[in-house]
Formats: sequence, C-alpha cells, structure tokens
Amino acid sequence: MIRALLRAQWLSMRFSSGRSAWTSLVLAALWYGFWTLLSLVAEEVAATSRFERLIITWLPAGLLAISVYWQLAPMASGAMGGSLDLRKLLIYPVPRGSLFFVELLLRITTCAELLLLLTGITIGLLRNPAFDGLGAAARIPMAVILFAAFNLILAAGLRSLLERLLTRRGIREIIGLLLMLLGVLPRLLMVTGVGGRRLERVLPTASNLVWPWGAAAHFMLLPTGGTYTGAAVLVGWSLAAYYFARWQFERNLRFDFQAAQAATVSAKDRSFTDRLYRLPALLLPDPVAAIVEKELRSFARTPRFRMVFVMGFSFGLVVWLPTMLRGRITHNAVSSNFLTVVSLYALFLLAQVTYGNSFGFDRSAAQLFYLAPISISRAVAGKNIAAAIVIFAEVAAIALACSILRLDIPLGQIGEAFAVTAIAALYLLSVGNLSSVNYARPMSAQRATGAGSARRSQGLLLLLYPIAMLPVFLAFLARYAFDSQTVFYAALALAAALGIAVYWMAMESTVTAAYKRREAILAQLSGGEGPLVAD
Amino acid sequence: MADSPAIAIHNLRKVYGAKAAVDGVDLIVPRGCFFGFLGPNGAGKSTTIRMLTGLIPPTSGSIEILGMPLAERELEIKRRIGLVPDESLLFDRLTGAEFLEFVGRMYGLARPMAIERALSLLDLFELREKRKMIAEYSKGMRKRLAMAASLIHHPDLFLMDEPFEGVDAVGARLMKDILLDQVRRGATIFLTSHVLEVVERLCDHAAIIDNGRIVREGSMDELRGGTDSLEDVFVRVVGAGHEFHELEWLK
Repeated sequence: MIRALLRAQWLSMRFSSGRSAWTSLVLAALWYGFWTLLSLVAEEVAATSRFERLIITWLPAGLLAISVYWQLAPMASGAMGGSLDLRKLLIYPVPRGSLFFVELLLRITTCAELLLLLTGITIGLLRNPAFDGLGAAARIPMAVILFAAFNLILAAGLRSLLERLLTRRGIREIIGLLLMLLGVLPRLLMVTGVGGRRLERVLPTASNLVWPWGAAAHFMLLPTGGTYTGAAVLVGWSLAAYYFARWQFERNLRFDFQAAQAATVSAKDRSFTDRLYRLPALLLPDPVAAIVEKELRSFARTPRFRMVFVMGFSFGLVVWLPTMLRGRITHNAVSSNFLTVVSLYALFLLAQVTYGNSFGFDRSAAQLFYLAPISISRAVAGKNIAAAIVIFAEVAAIALACSILRLDIPLGQIGEAFAVTAIAALYLLSVGNLSSVNYARPMSAQRATGAGSARRSQGLLLLLYPIAMLPVFLAFLARYAFDSQTVFYAALALAAALGIAVYWMAMESTVTAAYKRREAILAQLSGGEGPLVAD
Repeated sequence: MADSPAIAIHNLRKVYGAKAAVDGVDLIVPRGCFFGFLGPNGAGKSTTIRMLTGLIPPTSGSIEILGMPLAERELEIKRRIGLVPDESLLFDRLTGAEFLEFVGRMYGLARPMAIERALSLLDLFELREKRKMIAEYSKGMRKRLAMAASLIHHPDLFLMDEPFEGVDAVGARLMKDILLDQVRRGATIFLTSHVLEVVERLCDHAAIIDNGRIVREGSMDELRGGTDSLEDVFVRVVGAGHEFHELEWLK
C-alpha cells in the first residue's frame, strides 16, 4: 500500500518542468549542504574526548533544542510538510494503521535536516572513547532512533491537532500565536533577565531524566553516570506520543473539514470592510483597481494569508525582541533599528502568500487575466499594489504592537521603517514577479499552512533575499561609516531609484515570460495533486 | 466586417511534441448561429476553444473572430467574447456578486454598472445567496455563475466548453433559455457538449472533430441526413470499429 501511494505521488509530480526540478535540486543541495556541515561540526565536537564534561552538561539541552526545532520549525516557516489527502484515500479499503504509518513517515519531510544532525552526533559519540567508544555501538544509535521516533510521532500528533484547530477562524490565529510565543519564550526570558536565576534552576530540571531529551542523553552517555532508566523513560514517552498521535489521527479521520470551513461573508463584514476594499478605486483606474480590490478581499478571507500576516507582527516581533533588549546594553544595530528589522522580516514572510507566487491562490481562475481584454502587466501591477498595501498594513501593525508593548519607538524610526521596507519591497516584488511566472504553483486557500513544494519559491526568495537587501544594507552601512543622516537618506534615495529601475526591468521580463509561458503557467496552476497534499 | 463570419479558422494546428492535438482544422461559423462543436474525449475540442480565446498560441494556421485577426487584435476581440471554459475561472474567496462585479470591471464596465448588472444576473441565474463565498458553491452553481460572468459585458460571441456539465435539469433549462434568447438578439454561440440531445435540440449548425480533424460539418439537417439521430451519426463517424468485448473475470 505504501509503495502504491508513493508511486502515485511520484507519478503526479513527474511532469514538473526540468528547470523547476533543477531549481529544487540546487536549493535542496544548499539547504542540506549547510546541515551536513553542521552535522560534521557536531560530529567533531562529540568525538573529542576532552569535551567530555561539556558534552555531558550540554547534550540534554542540545536534544531539547532539537525537539523544539522539530516541533516548531514547520509552524514558524508556515510549511508543514507533506501529508495524506484523506479525502482521496478514505474511499479505499486501506487499514487505518497503514495510513497512520505513512503519515508518520511523511513527518520526515519537515525535519530531515535534524536526522542529519542526529547522525553526526551519533557518529561523534561512537568515536569518543570517553563514552565507551565502539562499545556503545548498539546503545547510542538505539537512543537516537528512539529519540527521533518520539519526535516524529509527536510531530504527527501535533500536526493532526493543529490541522483541525486551524480550520476554525479566530481560533487558528490565536493558537498559532500562542505556539509561536511559546517557542521563543525561553530565549526571551534569558535575554531579558526576567527570572534569570530561576531560569538557571529550571534548565538543569529540563535536563532531568523524566524528560525525553534528558532520558535520551542519559541513555546515550551510560558509562558516565547514566542508567538504563533513561531507555525506559524514552520508550514511555514514545508510547505516550504514539497514543496521542494515533488519537489525533483518528479524530481527523472523523472530522468534517469542509463543514468547519464553510463560510459566508457576514453582513457586518460587508458593511464595514466593503468601504475599505473600495478605497483603491478612488485613486486607481480599472482594471487595476478591480484587481487590487479582488486581491484584498481574497487575502482577508484566506486562512493561510491571515496566519502569515499575524505571524509577521507577532512572531517577528518576539523573535527579534531579545536581540533588541540585549542591544540596549551593547548598542547593536537591531536595537537602534528594531522596527525596520522586524518589518523586513515580515516582508520576507509575506512573500509566500502574496508576491512570491502571485497567481497561486487564483489557481485555474488565473486564466481570467489572459481571457479578459487587459494587458497582463496590469494584472501583475494590480497584484503588486495589493501586496504593497498588505506590506504597509503589516508595518503599521508592527508599529502598533510596539507601542502597545511600550517599546518607545521614535516617530522618525516609524517613518524610516516604512521607507526602508518600501524600497526593499521594490527589489523583492521584482524577484516575486519573476518567480510567480516561472515557478507558478497552485496554493490552497483553505489550508492554513503550506507544505513541502512551497519551499521551492520560498527557497529561491531566501537565496535572493540578501542580494535584494544589499542596497538598503549599504545605506545603513553608509550611515554607520559617515555617522550622517544626510548620507543615509541620499543612499536610500539611490537605492530607491535603482529599485524602481530593477522593478521596471523585472516587470518587462515578467510580462514577456507570462505571455511566452502562458500555457505552462495555466497548466501548473490547474494541476491536480496526488494522494499527498503538497501545495 | 459585419458580413464576416463570427469565426473563421484556416488550417489551424496545435502540436504537442510529436502529437497534433488539432491537425489542420478549417471551420466557418456564421454570425447569429448556435454552433455545436462535437467530438469524443481528447479529439481537440478544448484545445481549439483555448486557441480561439488566445489562451494557447496555435502552432500554425489563422483565426479570425468577428472579422478581426486574433493575432493582431486580441484585446479588441476579447472585449466582444463571453467565455465559459471547462476549467473554473472563478475566484473562490469572493462572493458571487463580488466576482461578477470584478469581471464586469475587467471588461471595462464602470463600477456602478458592473454592480447593477451583477445583481440582476444573480437574480436571473437564481444565485440569491449573495453572501456565500464561491468556495461554498455546488458544481451546478459554479457553472451558472460562470455563465452569468460570460454575459455581463453583453458579448457578441459566446465560447462555451461543456456549459451544462453538472447542472441540474432546472438550471440547465434556465441556461438554455438564456442562450436561445442571446441567439435571437443576434449573438453567436459556439458550444461543446457531450450531451448530444442538448446539441441536437439547441444548435442549428455543428461540426464533429476527431483526432484533431473535422470529420463532418454542416447544418443539423445536413448532418443527420434524413432520419438518423445526431447520436447515430456521431457514433458512426467517430466510433466506427468500437466493439464491446466482455471481460471473462467480470462475468
């Protein structure tokens, strides 16, 4: 059954263009190359016998970090990996246990990099004579396998739970926010010094044998004070995770996602926001205004967009807050440009749901832009303007959140954040437009998160993000070097002028590609999926 | 230009790799006629319609619509075409009214007029749940909305790919009445359908395409050639040689 499923999925994906396949390959090589390097470093550290005390002290914390990353990274990146499309599979007489097993295996798609890291640690510890060396040939790998299995199963359970919770409007945003805050809470507490001493007492407790990471570390380092209790505890945690994941999976099987997502536009929503949606028409002519209006309405009703938007001003803020608070003492760049940094981070996050794949949510309906008597450049421009409105709304939301948190951001810095984000957006919109027509892919509006294949254009943007940020970065560098606001603004003006030129050129290429590749774009956007959901 | 046919296709070809999906089609569709474009699955119907709308470029050949060459005057032609494609062109996160207004504005209608027409079309097509998002529409409702969208700019030519697919009998009757009314006012309808009874009842002209080539063409009477039904003609023309073989293990 598993082979049949995987084959069907492979057959569904085989028609992706050669160029897309190559891009995926390059991005995967870069990503996993980085993790392989990290794994090699971890191996060398773990293999050094003089680091024995260090390893004993820090291994539980390291494993805790791996667990946290394993569970939270897919949510933070908005890409939850592949999963079974149960609507397509439930009609077949397949045992539920088999479906659950495939679902578990699919969790590997989200955090394969951690398996690399764990492999590095395992080999390192096996090479280290302080930990029984090759004498632990069975024990250490078994501990790592149990630890990985625990994380894999827990991730499957959490995913099922989240998938159900995230179908409900409002709850979805709150849950997402809480989980993200939970993820960055330890770092925030450490940097702010809030309960610093208490935290110092808490960390050894986290390394305790009762926790899966503590148990795994004890089991791995047996000769230096560990006991076989660690193995028993780890098995216990894995079993608990299994029952939790299985329970959640069964609940998902019975859950009516369609009914939960059934939505109408409330009368209140219509009367209040309708006027807002119509504002662009006051300044812009049709059809651009019509497209902007349509985009804004669609965004506001798309769970996935709302999730990312909320992440932009919540997760983004909390992620950078510790660095900013530390910077108040060390006077680092993040501290003095906090709002700008968070805004640029949000700008990157928004790419996946707005400008990075502009026609994704339209799916096959994107053909309307080719059928209607308009130039495709108007359609792209309309979509870019809608994205720009969203970006400015995000910066405003971040500024508002800062003022609620009493972060004391001067008015000048707010203006600066808007200006810098706008200039950076010019470059990123250029990249996004090219990516939208060259790597178009359908996206599900209903699903609150993306999945594996979304990483291609995200990866591309990640790769080009530093290059796109370079002109803005140079402006900041000029301010630092010359200690002059005038120089800074002059450099920003230059970056803006260059950005407009880049945007203009990219638009021409986008339009050419949009016409030249129209058949391929529409085929990609209308494409169906295999038995796995991967939008 | 007013005397020119609604559609004039000359030696149209579309080749994918080594396979010609449309292979030298010549076709004239007179103005004001209800034209049925028939063919078995994969015969080249949808590819032809996609070329007529400019969605895909032909490999060779020429297309004239309403007397204008498609390649040179694409935007002008698009303004006068109403389309119901086989694949959804509906934006799921809009309501029916919002979508119709959007389409109207894309075709150059002023917003107040687009809103007014959208609301009257929703009434006409009995899509009265105005706050329902399109994502929640049934298949039949989606087809009715797509047809409403094709009407909003009052086009002269309709290109319709399986417009009645998934529509219930009441909805289909409503749609047929509206289409017949459009023909009476002088519009041309170019329609593909697998339901031959529908084509036989509605269309005055038809062509049958098979393996990318037109194999029969003419008025409905000419096609039927006297007493045959359209289904008999269709099966004879494109289904010759198909025999039913019972599978042993299915007995």
